[in-house]
Amino acid sequence: MNRMRRRSSLLTLLAIAFVVTAIWVNTTSFAEGSWQAQWLPLFFGVSALNFMLRAAVPLILGALCGILCERSGIVNIGIEGMMLTGAFAGFVAKVATNHWPLYASLSVSVVAAMAAGGLMGLLHALFSIRFRMDQIISGTVLIILAMGLTAYLYDRDAVAQGKFTAVAIPFLSDIPVIGEVLFTNPPITYIALILVAVVHVALFHTRWGLRTRAVGEHPGAADTMGVNVNAYRYMNTIIGGMLAGLAGGFLVLEAVGQFQEGMTAGRGFISLAAVIFGNWTPFGAMTASMLFGYTQALQNELLLAGVAGIPRQFVSMIPYVVTIIAVAGLVGRVRPPAASGKVYNKDGQQ
Amino acid sequence: MRYHNFSFALLTAFAVLQTTAQAEVKVGLVTDVGRVNDRSFNQSAWQGVTEACEQLGAEEGKDCKYIETRDAKDYADNIDQFIEAGFDVVVSVGFALGEATASAAAENPETFFIGVDQFQGAPLPNLAGLIFNEDRSGFLAGALAANLTESGTIASVLGTDLVPPVVAFGEGFIAGAKYIKPDINVITTYHPGEISQAFTDPEWGAATTKQAIDKGADVIFGAGGITGNGALQEVAANEGLFCIGVDTDQWLTLPAAHPCLVSSAMKLITPGVIDLIKTFSDGTMTSGNYFGGSALAPFHDFDDQVPAEVKTQLAEIKTGLEDGSIKTGYGQ
Amino acid sequence: MPESIKRIARAVSSALLVPIMALIVAFALGAVVMTLFGDDPVAAYQGLYDGAFGSAKAWARTLLKTTPLILTGLAVAVAFKAGLFNIGAAGQFIIGTVCSVAVGIHFEGTPLLIHLPAALLAGIAGGMIWGAIPGLLKVYTGAHEVITTIMMNYIASLFAGWTVYAGGRQGQSPGPLWDPTARAISETPDVLTSAQLPLMGNPRLDLHLGIIIAPLAALLIWWLIYRTTFGFEVRTVGRNADAARYAGMYPRRTTVMAMALAGGLAGLAGAIETLGLNHKFAPEFGGSVGFEGITVALLAQTHPLGVVFAAFLLGSLEAGASRMQFESGVSADIIDVIQALVLIFVAAPLIIRSLWPGKRSSLAAGTKTQ
Repeated sequence: MNRMRRRSSLLTLLAIAFVVTAIWVNTTSFAEGSWQAQWLPLFFGVSALNFMLRAAVPLILGALCGILCERSGIVNIGIEGMMLTGAFAGFVAKVATNHWPLYASLSVSVVAAMAAGGLMGLLHALFSIRFRMDQIISGTVLIILAMGLTAYLYDRDAVAQGKFTAVAIPFLSDIPVIGEVLFTNPPITYIALILVAVVHVALFHTRWGLRTRAVGEHPGAADTMGVNVNAYRYMNTIIGGMLAGLAGGFLVLEAVGQFQEGMTAGRGFISLAAVIFGNWTPFGAMTASMLFGYTQALQNELLLAGVAGIPRQFVSMIPYVVTIIAVAGLVGRVRPPAASGKVYNKDGQQ
Repeated sequence: MRYHNFSFALLTAFAVLQTTAQAEVKVGLVTDVGRVNDRSFNQSAWQGVTEACEQLGAEEGKDCKYIETRDAKDYADNIDQFIEAGFDVVVSVGFALGEATASAAAENPETFFIGVDQFQGAPLPNLAGLIFNEDRSGFLAGALAANLTESGTIASVLGTDLVPPVVAFGEGFIAGAKYIKPDINVITTYHPGEISQAFTDPEWGAATTKQAIDKGADVIFGAGGITGNGALQEVAANEGLFCIGVDTDQWLTLPAAHPCLVSSAMKLITPGVIDLIKTFSDGTMTSGNYFGGSALAPFHDFDDQVPAEVKTQLAEIKTGLEDGSIKTGYGQ
Repeated sequence: MPESIKRIARAVSSALLVPIMALIVAFALGAVVMTLFGDDPVAAYQGLYDGAFGSAKAWARTLLKTTPLILTGLAVAVAFKAGLFNIGAAGQFIIGTVCSVAVGIHFEGTPLLIHLPAALLAGIAGGMIWGAIPGLLKVYTGAHEVITTIMMNYIASLFAGWTVYAGGRQGQSPGPLWDPTARAISETPDVLTSAQLPLMGNPRLDLHLGIIIAPLAALLIWWLIYRTTFGFEVRTVGRNADAARYAGMYPRRTTVMAMALAGGLAGLAGAIETLGLNHKFAPEFGGSVGFEGITVALLAQTHPLGVVFAAFLLGSLEAGASRMQFESGVSADIIDVIQALVLIFVAAPLIIRSLWPGKRSSLAAGTKTQ
């Protein structure tokens, strides 16, 4: 536990150092042609930071889904499928309401995305709890099902009109650099960041959170205390599914404005890695998501700048290598909730 | 089932007897990994097939069919489906199908093949490669962008540099912009993934566009199938910026880009496919490389925002490119 | 004697009941989905049948699609036997492909009897290494193989992409296996004839020796798992690692070896696909058969011989997809829906059994994967 705390304070320090450097780089003008002018904006420029946040949002939401499920003892590798279903449902709702005022139509579509994600969560819970399917297999099934169904049902003549645009928050958006990156964003980005704090408080400072964690760590003990283990698992998996659905909604309604088969492109898996990297805590997962987003931003910055010394395939590998290093515990051993992945029966059978 | 097939064969035989006077044409189309209605090149090619079929009196869904490719390994299999079924013309769409198309053409001299975006290095008598001077329409788009920019920075967000037509668009765009404003800053990016993802990754297109906008670009050229569409829609979400589409007149195919879409750098796949199918049906059968048209699409709602002298200038450039007095510098 | 026959018959029928029921229900549901969305299921299934079994060419297509699926299915099944979920068959397949191509395009003048086995072995070795890494990580750091194998898939496909990369406008130099005569296309040269799997029968059908190797591999794995000490250890570790340790086994070593074996099988799939069919590697030839291996293994309930039949089922679906589209106009995506449905009903036999009245108590066990 001590080592855990040391690790998180180290990460916090690193994050602060990063932010300070970024502000310094973006508020200083370097001599034309100097190495600073050539390289620093690449690593710390506003465009890199914006890209990082944008790439991180679906990962954050996916990771929150993973945290809610796993904290209650349900392993969820089907986040990818839940996201994709959410994206598709958001798209369908958007197309159906194209003639409405833009924000009304978008809001309804967000709700649809979350509902579809929630349904996938319910399905996962049913498979894992009611039908005692291996949870990892159930997750895999959700992914294959989502891929097949969304591709089959996608009407390629349908066009979604419009997407969320950036909303600058008064005053805060005037802060140099930070305002530009953090406080000039479209709505789902704000929601995702707020949700990190909400889930943190809910998990660690409410009775519901205490019970959820008990269900995930010691279902037997929780049961004797009168907690309905499976009810908590159903609830968490459904809420988690809704968050993954929101991540899909982000892709369709905020990032792209259109649906595309397989558009989640592995984001669900990366968010799963963010869960582990972040040690099953919301803020940890957010930091991990930002890190993954940053490696993607860097890859693109190098492309835009025409840096060709390192083959781009190797630059693209960074997030995956980082993930392996993270889960291999080289950055400090992490521990999943004890009962995660195990079916709970009252009579103690597994 | 066997009975069903037999009666079907009888029916067809009967139909053939009845219509021997007018030779029917059967046209099949194989898409690249992607969809027939992708609002991009697969769709344009399929539109060419359907229009040609209509003009030739062939029935869509029976004599004119398509197969969407699921996996790049299946190109040859999908082409085979049409050959086995005795189709006369097979249209294969996309640079990536070049090899499968050429080997099918060599094995089946009776069938006529049209390869969209497939340059023919070693021409076969029954294979026509429909290719375009993408660098020219890219050049025109670049010239337009350079005239519209206020920041002095423009950008292109492109599909993969593994596909020559895309590179031609990109290089032409740079050359055209520099032709108008030699000191202009052009940000160029190609999708970093493989061919199979490069044209179907709208989020990369959108995020990269945002990045270019953050770097000051105010006119963005999105060229790369659905990836490019993602770029255009991202520009549309920002006020006061312009975007330029690609392949077809995207004003008609991508309404979501209306807020920013000034024009599109077109390669006229549809008329090219129609022309080639017709050369087969009237027996003149073109083979080797066939150049389709390339041009800038109309300005539609942005007509007032493009000054008259710019329009004249663009027309002059177009003539210059055609008579060779202006060079794009690509592949020459 | 009759008692034991009865017992075997019972065992076989209970092993077959679930997959067969799952198939029937999945196809029926697939038909319902198609009807709901305006497609004609009869025409679709007819086209599927024609494309998979309608002619010699169709049969050949089915067998060719089945071959790699048997091996990737085994790669997943073997890992399941050791209690591991190998999602990494796709990456192991790709690495196997790249390694066999690397050997196959070089060493001109080597006789077939040396060159071909060497290229096959290179594929197996590459896959084994790629599979062993997640095994080692699991054993020594506790990293869950699901995450590490997924990440290894991405790394494998990027690495393979780099080896054949044609070099682009942005100044990056071409990869080591790229064929310069392919101009701008990212692909390797053709494998030399001395490293190609010999064809059998009508050469137009492309039936290569691999279609025999794959089922033989299944037989070998069955023998290994059920008739050898190593197999016994794998199964014991898969059931209960602690018990295996008390019994004097080495669960760590067994875990790593099982993952290496799994990787080797997927690598062999890649090698066979390359040396027999594609004769070269391009990034578009991704590892989708690796993912389908998961469906195959689950459908076979992880039994090595069942894998052959499951692979045949999936292979015929894949082979028939083009024809189905051609004849009925139904999008080939419906194949994925049917596969997912089959998987659901196989993985959660309780769903099927809840449709089947009676007999509930004896059948309550979940999927036999751990």
